[in-house]
Amino acid sequence: MKSIFKKKEMGILSIVILISILITLKNSVFLTPGNLLDILKNNTVPGIVALGMLLVIITGGIDVSVGAMVAAVTVIVGTFMVNFGGNLLLAFLVGCLSGIILGVINGFFIARMKIPAIVVTLGTMSIFNGTILYFTNGSWITNIPEWFINFGRIRLIGIPIQVFFWLGAALLTFFILKYTRIGRGIYAIGGNPEAATRAGFKKDKLIIFIWAYLGFLVGLAAVVHTSIVRQVDPNAFLGFELTVIAAVVLGGANIMGGEGSVFGTFLGVIMLAVINNGLILAWIPTFWQQIIVGVIILIAVSIDVIQNKRRERAMAKIDVEE
Amino acid sequence: MERLIEIKKLTKIYPGVRALDDVSFTINKGEVHALVGENGAGKSTLIKILAGVITPDEGEILIDDKVESFSHPLEALQKGIAVTFQDLSLFPNLSVAENISISRKIEEGDMVLDWSEMKRIARKAIDELGVKLDINKKLGYLSIGNQQLVAIARALVHDAKLLILDEPTASLAKEDINALFRVVNLLKKRGMSILFVSHKLDEIFEISDRISVLRDGKYIGTYPKEEITEDELISYMVGRKVRYTRYDKRKRQEPLLEVKNLSKKNNFKDISFTLNRGEILGITGLVGAGRTEVAQAIFGNNVPDSGEIYLEGKRINNDSTSKALKTGIAYVPESRQTQGLVLGKSLADNITVTILDRITNGLNLLDKRLKTGIVREWIDKLNIKPAYPDMQIDQFSGGNQQKAVIAKWLAYNPKVLIVDEPTQGIDIGAKSEIHKLLRDLAEEGMGIIVISSELPEVLAICDRILVMRRGRIAGEFTGDDVTQEELLNKAITKAG
Repeated sequence: MKSIFKKKEMGILSIVILISILITLKNSVFLTPGNLLDILKNNTVPGIVALGMLLVIITGGIDVSVGAMVAAVTVIVGTFMVNFGGNLLLAFLVGCLSGIILGVINGFFIARMKIPAIVVTLGTMSIFNGTILYFTNGSWITNIPEWFINFGRIRLIGIPIQVFFWLGAALLTFFILKYTRIGRGIYAIGGNPEAATRAGFKKDKLIIFIWAYLGFLVGLAAVVHTSIVRQVDPNAFLGFELTVIAAVVLGGANIMGGEGSVFGTFLGVIMLAVINNGLILAWIPTFWQQIIVGVIILIAVSIDVIQNKRRERAMAKIDVEE
Repeated sequence: MERLIEIKKLTKIYPGVRALDDVSFTINKGEVHALVGENGAGKSTLIKILAGVITPDEGEILIDDKVESFSHPLEALQKGIAVTFQDLSLFPNLSVAENISISRKIEEGDMVLDWSEMKRIARKAIDELGVKLDINKKLGYLSIGNQQLVAIARALVHDAKLLILDEPTASLAKEDINALFRVVNLLKKRGMSILFVSHKLDEIFEISDRISVLRDGKYIGTYPKEEITEDELISYMVGRKVRYTRYDKRKRQEPLLEVKNLSKKNNFKDISFTLNRGEILGITGLVGAGRTEVAQAIFGNNVPDSGEIYLEGKRINNDSTSKALKTGIAYVPESRQTQGLVLGKSLADNITVTILDRITNGLNLLDKRLKTGIVREWIDKLNIKPAYPDMQIDQFSGGNQQKAVIAKWLAYNPKVLIVDEPTQGIDIGAKSEIHKLLRDLAEEGMGIIVISSELPEVLAICDRILVMRRGRIAGEFTGDDVTQEELLNKAITKAG
């Protein structure tokens, strides 16, 4: 199993490297440490949310409400800080807790009511977006407290603080997926839900956990986001869910469930980021970015399908008597 | 012999049917105990109760003379009852090691997993089976036979006292069955009891010590293998004495379908035969001999590298199934559930799915009355029960599902009908009905190719029989003067 995942990730990695080389040839600014750190910092938010999306996709689910969720939490955290002040710990606590609550709402309908995830999250996406509009009227929160802005400027060994949150979330997710019963249960449900129940996994609880965990990461990402942009724009996350889903799929996760890895998902986010950043540096119009991303997704998924078919055919091979 | 499990007055009632009705019997320590019965006899219900998937309405289960009850498969496992379900209940996306050890880890309540320990557990279980398997391989890459062994290894990990094998040989080739039986005998020698559930009587007589029979949810009896014949067993199962009716073999001389020198790399080589009008031609051989591949080639689903196919003297070049259907060739696939049926849809929808263009009105919309008429006709003709066109296809028994699949293709009015394993996994009564249906169709002039691993079936209904081995035709037999042994011999012995 290891070698297969590795192979897939190596493929993604080589595409990322190839794109990087092409961009560097066009504009050498790309490969400067400053630019690379900027890429990392600016993709922390989709990077963290993609980790939660990965878990959902491994179980065969999907979440189209993450954009609305991140927006909702930024509004909540922003409003909280502006009105009550508080401190850093409290900001993260409020953010993660409200994220978890939103996630559990999704998880409840999916696990207990057995409604397909895409339907549930389409519904909650609309509800979350509508509620945000009701409370904010679409206006920005700009008077974020100084102490929080200062936090966002911190660099450790020259690396923006936000990147460490991404790294931490990735390590935590990796540990959960690889070394905990819950993590293996996530793969088991994605591979064969009926067998997972028979093997003793508590499916409903697991599903609710996954959605709560995604909510937690959404909350974390929302606070990190606010620390980067130092204001709250309730409309900043329109279409965000598609970026996140695309990153996870590009990272080799099977949209039908059962497969996907943290490293792959990281590479998926980076691939999108590099294309995005590189095309700008190379003075290529932005619509090309969308076209290229779309083409890469289709090629990547096609290669996957073709390989599976070939494997099946290899298994069906008959040793013909000569 | 010492008693391991005592089943006492088990009853399970579903709306409208007593799936199990006051069933009691015992399973001894270290015996292979076969459980037989037609579809709907209550075998699955009994297994599910023993496995903790469902709970009985009445009655109890004693293990080592202690009353035990369980409401989850994991609880049954802890009490020493392990099941390898027909669908194996494994995870194709996980490694062999994890498939074997994961439920043990859940049982132990570990939140954080130790991979090296999991691998150790898996390796030990595989070694105990006396087989060779790479435990780091992804399960989905294994053959069905090896997956079966993984499922058994998982049971071993739980120190099972009773291992229930539910139709373990349904999709295994002969060599894999032999490997499985070696493992079963090994486990038996170690004192484990095995409850072996199967439709295949020859296997039951080969492997089991005692045989219990269920019929219509009721317990009929338990018989030591030496004290019962196959005929008696069948009569207990069906309650009346039936064997496959042997039909008269005829010589027919009007070629309908001619296949000449068909070859495809890694599939089959030099396949030539003729199918006459009104004839049933059997193609048998081991699973993996290339039978289905040849059938798929005729049906346009597996384009051959070379060779020619003629229908009614005219060369046909089927490179798609829709072309094949237009020329008059229909193919009823091997697996009803995955290839033949639209699950979740009604019987009527399933029968008419191939002929939607023929049941439309002037506006090109579906004509409900026309559809109902055609569906009624096929329900009557094929004796599909219950005769409810609107009932979901999933709820019909295997035999009736198979009839629906055949009806679907018959509605197309084919000249040549290819049926792949037409009676796999259905009970003897339904089998006989399918056999009669095929014979009737042949009487009406259709040419039929039956692909089947079940030699008694091939012998009963086919006018001529081809045996395939390793992608080639190894022999052709005509008429009644051939035995199962001869066919099997051709299928397995290596020429030269």
